[in-house]
Amino acid sequence: MPRRLARVLLLLPVLAYTAFSAGPYIWTAMMSLRTTEEIYRSHYAPPIPAHWAKFATAWNEFGYATYFKNSLIVAVASVLIVSLIGAMAGFAFGRRRYHFPLREPLFLLIFLSIMFPPQIMLLSLFQILVQYRLFNSLAGLTLVYVVTELPLTIYLLRAFFAQIPTELEEAARIDGCSDWAMFWRVMFPMALPAVATTVILNFIYFWNEFLYAVVFITQQKIRTLPLAIQFLVSDQYQDIGMLATGLMIATLPVLVLYLFLSEWFVKGMTAGAIKG
Amino acid sequence: MRRPRARRPWGAIAIFLGPTVVLYAAFTIYPVLVTFYNSLHTLRMDLGMLYEYVGLEHFREILTSDDVFWKAARNSLVWAVVAPIVDIPLALLLALTLHARVPFARVFRTVWFTPVLMSYPVVGVIWLWVYNYDWGIANLVLRAVGLGAYAQAWLASPLTALPALILVTTWMFAGFNMVVLLAAIHAIPSDYLEAASIDGARAWQRTLRIMVPLLRPTIVNLVILDFIGKMKQFALVWVMTRGGPMWGTETVATYVVKRAFEWKTLDLGYPSAIAVIWFVIIFGLSLGLTRVLQRREALEF
Repeated sequence: MPRRLARVLLLLPVLAYTAFSAGPYIWTAMMSLRTTEEIYRSHYAPPIPAHWAKFATAWNEFGYATYFKNSLIVAVASVLIVSLIGAMAGFAFGRRRYHFPLREPLFLLIFLSIMFPPQIMLLSLFQILVQYRLFNSLAGLTLVYVVTELPLTIYLLRAFFAQIPTELEEAARIDGCSDWAMFWRVMFPMALPAVATTVILNFIYFWNEFLYAVVFITQQKIRTLPLAIQFLVSDQYQDIGMLATGLMIATLPVLVLYLFLSEWFVKGMTAGAIKG
Repeated sequence: MRRPRARRPWGAIAIFLGPTVVLYAAFTIYPVLVTFYNSLHTLRMDLGMLYEYVGLEHFREILTSDDVFWKAARNSLVWAVVAPIVDIPLALLLALTLHARVPFARVFRTVWFTPVLMSYPVVGVIWLWVYNYDWGIANLVLRAVGLGAYAQAWLASPLTALPALILVTTWMFAGFNMVVLLAAIHAIPSDYLEAASIDGARAWQRTLRIMVPLLRPTIVNLVILDFIGKMKQFALVWVMTRGGPMWGTETVATYVVKRAFEWKTLDLGYPSAIAVIWFVIIFGLSLGLTRVLQRREALEF
């Protein structure tokens, strides 16, 4: 009995923290369905009636359709490229068959760069992108995104490939499997759960990335969502209602996916933090 | 018949590692070297990237007479030291609470983790509203509990702005750290805790004496991750305060970008030198921190 009581008492701080954690976002969600006029009358009133049409307005008239599309293009392209290249490298780093003299030092170097602060390459990347006419382009941003997440992706996938038993590889090779077929037909499909965690981790990173976007994108029509929001804050500081709708557009796709796949998201997001 | 390991499959190695090596050399190693090179020059953007060699002059100026740099360095360091001290114990407390079989633990875990999935601009805007003087949640709560005298414009004073931003990152990452710790707690073999309870150890003793030391490697890991993350902090500041008021929230990262693109100097050399200094400091401190925190033998189980 006292045990049960203790559990109920524990609920109090838990609920308090939940209010702190979820409160701001729920408040924003409520505002996203109200007009700015209604909000200024009372900031915390429930969204009755709910103005769902605001989402269409933000999408069509405030440019969110474009920003959303830009974010999606960059994030999807970067994820596809980094997953493929990262898996290939992780495979070659993880299997004994591909060992060569400088392989481990090379891997260590790549691993260390996970720690690099972005500033150490930010300005020179800017210079390089300008030089190769990749400045102010989604292709240039994609290239930079791929490069920044490549080390962590390789690190995580190498660990997975390294623990696949050699017998499997040998059996496939006796069946006449080439190196590429071994990777593409045998190993990569086996690694899909591990690849999925890196896909989630990387997608969230690309979808939310801000620093490189600020420096490498200056044209309005190729802004990604995080960049667009930063500009919209100053441009329509007064229009809280519409801004709240925009924040929902920027976050809801990820949060809805999270609701259905929360175990995968947790696994993906924490993958880089567990072993170090 | 092909015999494996007869010789090295160089062709396959080239195919698998080629793209990585090319990208890594061209867009990581080369840019880092260019930054080091640039830090010894002035590099005028308005004059078609005109290079002029200045030696260590930038470093001398930054370290001896750049007040803004020192303010930014101080803010970044404060953030990087305070955040783990707040975040990790809070996360540990939350994790232990959920571990005590609170009802609906799964739901709480899911909710607490959510903020880390949002971008800094989104979080920044939401918290600009939370800190609004007239109608923000922060002041609303203070007024509701009778502490209305403390209600203030949190981001307008150099004294409160930085703590206010630190709280935002705590809000973002406490749930994330909690989830990692919770996973580590679940990985502790249950006989450890049972053995302790047979010995008559009370629940809190069990927690403190047995669980926390077992969690040490995870905690160290999270502390270092948090520390490095805050040393690099850029986006939240850029969206919420732009480094103000009066450099009160300026970080080294925001200062580098400002010096490069907003200052009238139009020089990429000077901010590159700042980046080099900060790169060395982050690397040195992270390695040092790892050494100090992991000195005591990690417990194996």
